[in-house]
Amino acid sequence: MLTLSFILIGLFLVLVQTTLFMPSPLWLAAPDFYYILVGYLAYNVTFLRGIVILLPVSMVLDIYSGTVIGMYPALCYLGYFLLRFMVAKMPVRKSLYQLPLVALSYLMVNWILLLILDFFQPQVIAEWIWFPILFRAFLIYIFSFPLFRFFTFVEKRVKGTFSSPRFTRSLPGNQFRQN
Amino acid sequence: MKKNTRRQRKGSITTFRFVLFTGTAITFVLILLIVILGDQQFGPVHKVILEGVGPLQKTMASISNSLHSVKKNYIDLLTVREEKERLWQELQECRTKAYANRGAVALNARLRKLLDFKESSNQPTITAQIIGKDPSLWFRSVIIDRGSSDGVRKGMPVVTGEGIVGQVYASSTDYSKVLLAIAPSSAIDVLLQGSRIRGILKGTGKNLYQLEYILKTAEVFVGDRVVTAGYGGMFPTGLPVGIVSKVTRNRRGMFLEIEVVPAVDFRTLENLLVIEREKKNFE
Repeated sequence: MLTLSFILIGLFLVLVQTTLFMPSPLWLAAPDFYYILVGYLAYNVTFLRGIVILLPVSMVLDIYSGTVIGMYPALCYLGYFLLRFMVAKMPVRKSLYQLPLVALSYLMVNWILLLILDFFQPQVIAEWIWFPILFRAFLIYIFSFPLFRFFTFVEKRVKGTFSSPRFTRSLPGNQFRQN
Repeated sequence: MKKNTRRQRKGSITTFRFVLFTGTAITFVLILLIVILGDQQFGPVHKVILEGVGPLQKTMASISNSLHSVKKNYIDLLTVREEKERLWQELQECRTKAYANRGAVALNARLRKLLDFKESSNQPTITAQIIGKDPSLWFRSVIIDRGSSDGVRKGMPVVTGEGIVGQVYASSTDYSKVLLAIAPSSAIDVLLQGSRIRGILKGTGKNLYQLEYILKTAEVFVGDRVVTAGYGGMFPTGLPVGIVSKVTRNRRGMFLEIEVVPAVDFRTLENLLVIEREKKNFE
C-alpha cells in the first residue's frame, strides 16, 4: 500500500509540475518535484521499494518530457543510488545534511547525464548554463522542506492505517458458530 | 365725593376700551369685507405684509431645512456601511468580469489569427490546445490534446497564426507530443525571404534560433525575414519563422553565425494548428 501511495503521489507531482508550475514552455521557476521524491525514497524506504516506486514515475516523465527515451529513469536511478551511497558513507547525523544533499545530488546527476549525452548525442540537448540549473537546485532545496514533511505524514498515515491492530487483532469470545 | 369721582373715571375708561375694541374690530371686519368682496388684487397692503412676514418665513424655512438635513444625514450614516459593502461587492464583481473579458479578448485575438491562417493557407488543419509542457531545462516539447484519432501523425508541422511552432514528435490515440522548433534537437530547412539564401535553422533551448550553414560570402542583414524552405515536404513553403537579430562574421570557419528571433512567442503558446500532410512525407 505504501508503494502504491508513493507511486500515485509521484504521478500527481509530475502532473502538477508539467501543468500548474509550467505556465509557458520556457518557464524557469518549475521545481523538479520528482527529484525531491527521489531524495525522500533514498533516505526513508527500502532499496527495492524505492526502485519499484521510481519506475512508473520516471517512465511517465519520459513520456511528458524530452526526446531521449530513458533519460528520466537514468536520472532518477542515478540520483537514488548516489544518495543512498552517500547516506551510507556519511558520518554526520542525517537531519543535518539530507535536504542540501538532495539539491547537491541533483546538480551532480544532471551534470553527469549531460556529459554522457553531450558525448554520444551532442545535437540533442541544450548546453549547460549555470544560472538556470543552480536556480532549479535552489528550488529543490526550498520545496524539500514542505514535501519531506508531507511524505513523512503520508508514510505515517499509510503505515498507521494498514498495520493498525484493529485489522489484525483477535476478537474476544468464540468466533465460531455454536449451532 | 372721592368715591363718586373714582366710579365715574372707571366707568369712562371701560367705555373708552369698549369703543376702541369695537371700533378696531369693525375696522378689521370692514377691511376683510373690502378685501374679500373687492377686486381680488394683491394690493400695497398685501405687499407690505408680505415684506414684513417674509424674513420670518425665510428664517423658519432655513431652520426647518437644517433640521431636515441633519435628519437625512443621520439616516444616511446609518445605511452607509451597508451601502459601502454592497458597492465593494459590486466593484469586485465588475473587476472579475473585466479581467475575464480581457482574457476573452486576448483569446479571441489569438483564435482569430489562427482562423485567418487556417482560411488563407488552403491546407487541411487540426486545431489543438496545449495541455502540458516539458519541465526540463534540456529539451523543449509540449503535449497537445489531439492524437491519431483526430488525424495527427508523426512529423506533421505545427503552427500558429504568427508562424511555425514545431512538429509532431509522437502521437497516441488522443494526445500528441510536439517538439518545439526552439528545441536543441530541432532542425528546419529555411530561406532568407529577400535573398532566397538557404540555411538550416536550429533550436537553442532558449527563445532564439541559430541559423547555420550560410556561407560568409552571403549578404545577410539584421531584420531579414526567415521563412520555411519547404524542401523535403516537411513544412509548407513560405511559413514565417523569424527575423534575423544578429549576424557575426568570425575570422575562422566558412559560415556566418546568425541568430534569429522566433516569429512565434513561445512564452504565450496556447492554441495551435497541426497541418495535415501526406503520411508518406514523414516515414
